[in-house]
Amino acid sequence: MTITVSPVYLFNAVTNEAESAELWDGITEKQLGDWEGEWLPELFKSVQKLHRAGVERRHWPQSRHWNWRKKTEALQGMLAQPGFSIVCNGMTQGMMILDTVMKRCRIEQQKGKEIVYVDFVENAPWNRPDLHDPALYRGVGSVMINAAIAQSKELEFKGRIGLHSLPQANSFYANTCGMSDLGMDANYQNLRYFEMTSEQAEAFIAKGTQP
Amino acid sequence: MVAKKTMTLNLTDAEMRALDELCEKKDLSKTAVMRQALRLYQLIENRVEKGDKLFFEDEATKEKAEVMML
Repeated sequence: MTITVSPVYLFNAVTNEAESAELWDGITEKQLGDWEGEWLPELFKSVQKLHRAGVERRHWPQSRHWNWRKKTEALQGMLAQPGFSIVCNGMTQGMMILDTVMKRCRIEQQKGKEIVYVDFVENAPWNRPDLHDPALYRGVGSVMINAAIAQSKELEFKGRIGLHSLPQANSFYANTCGMSDLGMDANYQNLRYFEMTSEQAEAFIAKGTQP
Repeated sequence: MVAKKTMTLNLTDAEMRALDELCEKKDLSKTAVMRQALRLYQLIENRVEKGDKLFFEDEATKEKAEVMML
């Protein structure tokens, strides 16, 4: 498996400075090792804190059930579902899997057209403001959305992307990314569906990567 | 950007017409349509090989028709 590494930046909230990072166009054994050895223990600690604080289960991070090893193994070598990851300071900070074939646009002006659908995207637990105060790195989500837009353009889909958002991320997709909120999807666990037009993609890129 | 390799593709008139129609309908270049077709073909082949079945469903009647992959 050949991996292309592109330079990106994340914002380190501890040093208050931008930090060099890498966007990998793949999810390798390194990422899966980081997920199992670092992400999961941290995630379980966060869930334990929420439990002990009496926070209702429905407010716990829903991505706690995701098994990146199984997902990655199932999609190994599949052109339709490429994976991406961000590495900073030697540690995996985010992972994403796209679907470039199975979904179509829903917004009226682009209905039925090809789209890059963000199937799974997750930030390392220490970068999530809802789990870690202060979050260590900001900008992982924006770098991933940028990567999804770039993939969409590379496939001539003109930057069109779509995704179902977990409740904790609704505001990020609506406000930071400027995606259209098409409301709760009864056919997809009642999660909100967000879609980005080519114009919205251009506006997002013009803003630059922002946390 | 990932490096790409060039190939020559020989198509019949009918195949070229179908490709042109898809390009027009999808607003994609010939290369983009062929790459999309390859991704879809690989995905379906992979799922069928694992024992999955491929269906088309009529949205209104919910009637399902299995696509036989031989």
